[in-house]
Amino acid sequence: MNVLVPALRRLGIAVLTVVLASLFVFLAVQALPGDVAQQLLGQNATPEAVQQLRATLGLDENVWLRYLQWLAGAAHGDFGTSLVSGEPVAPTLLTAFRNSMLIALPAMLVGVTLSLALGVLAGVRRGRATDRIVSTVSLLVMSVPEFMVATVLVLLFAIGLPVFPAVVLRGSDATVAELLPTVWLPIVVLTLAMAAYILRTARSSTIDVMASEFVTTAELKGLTMRRVVWKHALPSALLPTLNVIALNVAWLLGGVVVVENVFNYPGMGKLMLESVSNRDLPTIEAIALLSALVYVVCNLAADLVALALDPKLRTRQRRTRTRPVRSTRKAHA
Amino acid sequence: MQPIVHDDRDVRGPSRRTLLTGAAGLAGLGLLTLTGCSSGAAAGTAALPEAAVTGATRAGGRLRVARPAASAAETLDSASSLSAYEYLGALYNRLVRLDEQGTTVPDLAEEWSANADGTEWTFRLRRGVRFHDGARFTADDAIASIRHILDEATASPQAGVLGEVMDASSMTAVDPHTLRFALTKPNAEFPSLLTAYQCYIVPAGAVADIGRTGIGTGPFRLSSFTPAGAGSVEAFEDHFAGRPTLDGIDFFSVQDTTARVNALLAGQVDLISQTNLDFATARVVAASDRATIARSTNAQWYTIPMLATSDEFADPRVRQAMKLAYDPRTIVDTALQGTGAPGWDNPVPPQLAAFVDEHREHDPDKARALLRAAGAEGLRTSIYTSSYESVFTPMAVAYRDAVADAGIRLTIRNASADSYYTQIWMQKPLMVSYWFTGRPIDQLLNQIFRTGSSYNESAWSNPTFDTLLDDARAEMDDAKRRTLYQDAQRLVVEDGADMTPMFGDRLVGLSRDVVNYSEYGFEFDWLRIGLRR
Repeated sequence: MNVLVPALRRLGIAVLTVVLASLFVFLAVQALPGDVAQQLLGQNATPEAVQQLRATLGLDENVWLRYLQWLAGAAHGDFGTSLVSGEPVAPTLLTAFRNSMLIALPAMLVGVTLSLALGVLAGVRRGRATDRIVSTVSLLVMSVPEFMVATVLVLLFAIGLPVFPAVVLRGSDATVAELLPTVWLPIVVLTLAMAAYILRTARSSTIDVMASEFVTTAELKGLTMRRVVWKHALPSALLPTLNVIALNVAWLLGGVVVVENVFNYPGMGKLMLESVSNRDLPTIEAIALLSALVYVVCNLAADLVALALDPKLRTRQRRTRTRPVRSTRKAHA
Repeated sequence: MQPIVHDDRDVRGPSRRTLLTGAAGLAGLGLLTLTGCSSGAAAGTAALPEAAVTGATRAGGRLRVARPAASAAETLDSASSLSAYEYLGALYNRLVRLDEQGTTVPDLAEEWSANADGTEWTFRLRRGVRFHDGARFTADDAIASIRHILDEATASPQAGVLGEVMDASSMTAVDPHTLRFALTKPNAEFPSLLTAYQCYIVPAGAVADIGRTGIGTGPFRLSSFTPAGAGSVEAFEDHFAGRPTLDGIDFFSVQDTTARVNALLAGQVDLISQTNLDFATARVVAASDRATIARSTNAQWYTIPMLATSDEFADPRVRQAMKLAYDPRTIVDTALQGTGAPGWDNPVPPQLAAFVDEHREHDPDKARALLRAAGAEGLRTSIYTSSYESVFTPMAVAYRDAVADAGIRLTIRNASADSYYTQIWMQKPLMVSYWFTGRPIDQLLNQIFRTGSSYNESAWSNPTFDTLLDDARAEMDDAKRRTLYQDAQRLVVEDGADMTPMFGDRLVGLSRDVVNYSEYGFEFDWLRIGLRR
């Protein structure tokens, strides 16, 4: 019961978030100048040509009506057809999502593991050489935008030393086997881009925890450093890091527009860029829905893990004996 | 890709793209030198080559082309405004095409003649031409193809141009190899209207699904095509002008300019089509071992339309002052770094036979006097630009600086590339724009400058000019007609509202292995292009 109520509430909020995201995306697309017909025709958009294309695409209908129809369809699992290609949206989107997963999942696994390990290490050895090196490098990686990292990697490993291909040539037709040689550089770029943030959060929260009273107590009790870190410090240090991980993972899974564009990688980010510039509403909406879903699921997962790690969160409504150490400190800060 | 329009590449994510290109350029400059990639000359100072390598090629081979696909709606139907431009010239032929001087020359038609007043045109068609599916080419195929363009449901950009002088019933097949057009009004330049890249000839029976099948008479036949994806064409052994040099061509869609350049530098593709590289990138490419630059001379026609219906530019004296105030040579030097030719506000490209080679004066004092007379002294207004094309903003800045001498104060306004041609073009009083050159003289003047034309970007209207164009169409004597076109050009320079500061060379990136690359206007030599031995 105790667990069920907050879980249901979270689920309700999640559904609301997804629907609201779809509405806001719809409004944003309406706010953009031009419609599909004008965008496709460009300078050839003479009034007659635009009208002809609008009629062909069925754009003459009321736009709100089209949105509601789409929403009703989506609720039944029908995401409509693309206004540009005339193909059903769902299979196109799933292929793009699968392609994005192909670079996002390895980047996520390597990135999270690496950054947590290094972050905790740097936090425990605060001020020492290890910490300085890790902190400086992560700061550097964080400051360079990912498209720059991507460009430099392409110049080094595709043009200078032709080990990897620079771009994906076959586009959305590419099979997984065809994509495999091309995924490595994007994976490295994404790993670097996300690892730096997680690492720095993990480091600072480790430092916070290591300075807290219960760790000092544990140390005074005579526990080994290894035991203090693993058993006491790490779970508490992970808590604040969880949300950063969740956001980064969602960012990755949502398709990384810039990175995919540089590599011409046929993932969800590239699909999104194309459909937005063409004002392809059904595709944009389906992408928005999926991205919102990914964000909600990631955050939900983070909350659940937090629940598991920290009993205080589970029980805060009934008990009041929680010591407000952190909040007091914040209030005075 | 709509070449008559603009390179679509920059529509997708403009500011980021510019940033990317800039970053690629910067990184390239440093890294190419570091990794020993640059061949001799430092990347920053390498001169851009003038022309592509010509000479002996190896027999066969496949060319890999990276192209900016317009959208997933693209089609192989040349009549459509959504056609996949690069494929067209490889797959199809027209009745007639243009040579570099803008003269109409034979393609599927061997010769043509008109009656005395230019209302009836008879084309003798090439015999023994076969389509890729084996069928013989006859006059019926030409009639079906041109009817398809005129068909309202096709919404072809060329429908208006042809529809003005003919309709679907104007054509008759006198015999299988003679095609007759009975025009609704005289037009001495009629054959040139059939040179447009919408006028490719397809089999009469294949018109309905030509967008996917791509059956034509061209040097290559289609083997695969995915809209906004990859596609291939193979050499057509029975092509009437002989087999092409290459065995085949693979087309790949790469939307991002930086990605296209990276693919070229990494040796994944041999040619980047329909892309005017910015100078930083072009220098990096020219300095690399694998790739180089070829120029398509005067391929980009840059314009500064003044909206003739706006309060600012309704007065012809103000428009004249805007022209007299600047010297286009300075704009070419600054915005194009010399890779182009000054336009002197004459929209006709210098390579065309009808070009009148005289230019107006540059006189800031006179401009000032004209403005004073028009009550617009010290004119202040905005000039709109965008990252849509890499030369736009340099051109706007160079123009602003140039006219300051005449007391004209312009403020540069940067608009979103995404909606530049829907929100700014033909709506703001002053902006920068461009077209691809390649229109025959009659179509160029009628389409962009005639009163009420849907492409008349300055909304200029001059009855004398319109009459000159009509007279030219009715004048069957070539020399006299040319004089009329020259008078029309003078009128545009004097009174027109669409300034032409310059023509720019397109900087095309291609592999050092590519031989006999040749492209001008909307003509690409797919027959002779090949790979180094």
